[in-house]
Amino acid sequence: MAPASPSLQIRLLLTLAVLLLAAAAIAAWSLESLYRNLGLQALEDVLDAQVIALISTAEIDADGRLVPQNLAEPRLATPGSGLYAEIVSSRGSWRSPSALGSGLNLDAQPSPGGRRLEHARLADGTRVIGLSLGIRWEPPEGEARDFVIRAAQSLEPWYQQMHRVRTGLITGSVLLGLFLLGGLAVALRVSLKPLRRLEGEIVDIEAGRRESLGAGWPRELAGVTGNLNALLIGERKRLERYRTTLGNLAHSLKTPIAAMRGLIEGGRAGPQALSPQLDRMQAIVQHQLKRAVFGGSGTTLTDLAVQEPLEQLRAALAKVYADKNVRATLAVARGTAYPIDAGDFLELAGNLMDNACKYCRNAIAVRATPWTAAEWRRPGLVLDVEDDGSGIPPAERSRVLDRGARADESVAGQGIGLSVAREIAAAYSGTLEIGESRMGGARISLRLPGR
Amino acid sequence: MRLLVLEDEPALRETLAQQFRAAGFTIDAAADGVEGEFAGLEYPIDVAVVDLGLPGRSGLEAIRAWRKAGKAFPVLILTARDSWQEKVAGLDAGADDYVTKPFRFEEVLARVQALLRRSGGWSQPLLKSGAVELDTRAQEVRVGGTAVELTAFEYRLLEYLMLRAGQVVSKAELTDKLYEQDFERDSNTIEVFIGRLRRKLDPEGTQQPIETLRGRGYRIARG
Repeated sequence: MAPASPSLQIRLLLTLAVLLLAAAAIAAWSLESLYRNLGLQALEDVLDAQVIALISTAEIDADGRLVPQNLAEPRLATPGSGLYAEIVSSRGSWRSPSALGSGLNLDAQPSPGGRRLEHARLADGTRVIGLSLGIRWEPPEGEARDFVIRAAQSLEPWYQQMHRVRTGLITGSVLLGLFLLGGLAVALRVSLKPLRRLEGEIVDIEAGRRESLGAGWPRELAGVTGNLNALLIGERKRLERYRTTLGNLAHSLKTPIAAMRGLIEGGRAGPQALSPQLDRMQAIVQHQLKRAVFGGSGTTLTDLAVQEPLEQLRAALAKVYADKNVRATLAVARGTAYPIDAGDFLELAGNLMDNACKYCRNAIAVRATPWTAAEWRRPGLVLDVEDDGSGIPPAERSRVLDRGARADESVAGQGIGLSVAREIAAAYSGTLEIGESRMGGARISLRLPGR
Repeated sequence: MRLLVLEDEPALRETLAQQFRAAGFTIDAAADGVEGEFAGLEYPIDVAVVDLGLPGRSGLEAIRAWRKAGKAFPVLILTARDSWQEKVAGLDAGADDYVTKPFRFEEVLARVQALLRRSGGWSQPLLKSGAVELDTRAQEVRVGGTAVELTAFEYRLLEYLMLRAGQVVSKAELTDKLYEQDFERDSNTIEVFIGRLRRKLDPEGTQQPIETLRGRGYRIARG
């Protein structure tokens, strides 16, 4: 036995888990990067505003430094506040009181009009983001000078916020994923329930606790269960047929065996006496075998195009009835096909056509047409076989179809073709009718229903 | 008439050979498909009786090989499986008729005779040439309505000529068809039998039913 393949449920859940994980990771990553970009932009805006504020109040002092005259932002005046500013030039620089002893060491030197953003660390390891703006100062008198105005802000609060955001995102993704997986597992359980029911019913059939599958299957399974049921019924019919055939065979052989035993025991077992008994046994075997050979209906059968086997039979019968010179016309509607075992169809049509050839004067006609009905997805088949013989009187018809059906009746071996054909037709839930042909003889109509 | 029996079951093969011999046939017997195919291709066979279920090469393959090689002699198949599928397969391969096993020899013989008659172009079991009538079923010969007693060999000779009525049949062909393989062949024997046959069919010598074509053979008129 091949190693068991993982269950459908496991396959689905594993695949979906991987997909969900990937989706959650992508969602978390995009949210995080969106948040980070927005946050950094906001920080930059704050720094921009600080730099503008510094410039707006700055004056050149006696030492030639550019110094803000009043600090609108109180945080700049508070050491360790997290907001820092400095104005540097070739002749010395100014630092906000907050930056005293902080070890702020921004080193971007943009030329006038330039603007640079940079990350740096303070002496105590605090991460900061700094903005440097280059300007050219042109006092009313004197020469123009270049300054770099810098503002920096601690990133620590922002980093803490980002950490909280990340934690929240990951927790949320994991919880959402688990919730979805759980929901899927429940959904799978619910949708696979009919399959488990099917499995259980099949086990019951195997164990002989039930004969066929119950009703009320979902649409997706109805086809399978319908076919399975048809298969089961077909198999049971076939088994019954074999049983009957075997029973009939054994039963009907008893009489000639008894007769032969009697002849032998009575010392009269000469060829003359034994021959009729042997003939009878031979006829019985032939007759019963003929009834047992056909395969019977199966739902697994593929469509058989009937044109070719009918042509083959016509050619074969032309040889067999060469002396009679039978004119056989064949009319098959284009594309006529029916799901039937090829051997069964040859047996069915062969018996009907053989019978027609046997009883015709010199012409037979075979017509095959699809049989359609609204409730069938696959069409049925109608096969009409006619001859120009003397026909079968209405009173004889049912007897002809039943001929030789029972083993203890006459088993002449002749004329059992129609009853065999009827039995094969019955195995496909079909019927055989005897009527009159416009050609003058009998018309045998075989009707096999569609599905 | 030279008949090939292709049957693997020894008892059945021997019985058939014996019964056909008794019915006036010259017999070639083969036990498997390869041997049978060879016999059909190499010997001047008039008709073959072939069992489909053979070991090794199947009867169907032998029939196909004969037909492919252009051999037109009629073939009767014996099938154990009485299904149309098997019959159609056999007839489609090139056989001309079938008999299902088990069978009575009379039926096989009747089918073989019908096949031979048809392959000779006769559609009725009664063959006619002028006043001479030969009934293939009863194996009886009548001249002008009066039964004529013939020996088995004389009957076989006349039947062969009548089945090929209208055609010239050479002495060599007659020797081939009417004697078994290893029989001592002497064309004078044929002349002697033709002479006897002529005396029996036409004691007064007025009808001349069997025509001699010097150096070519004999001919019986058709119809």
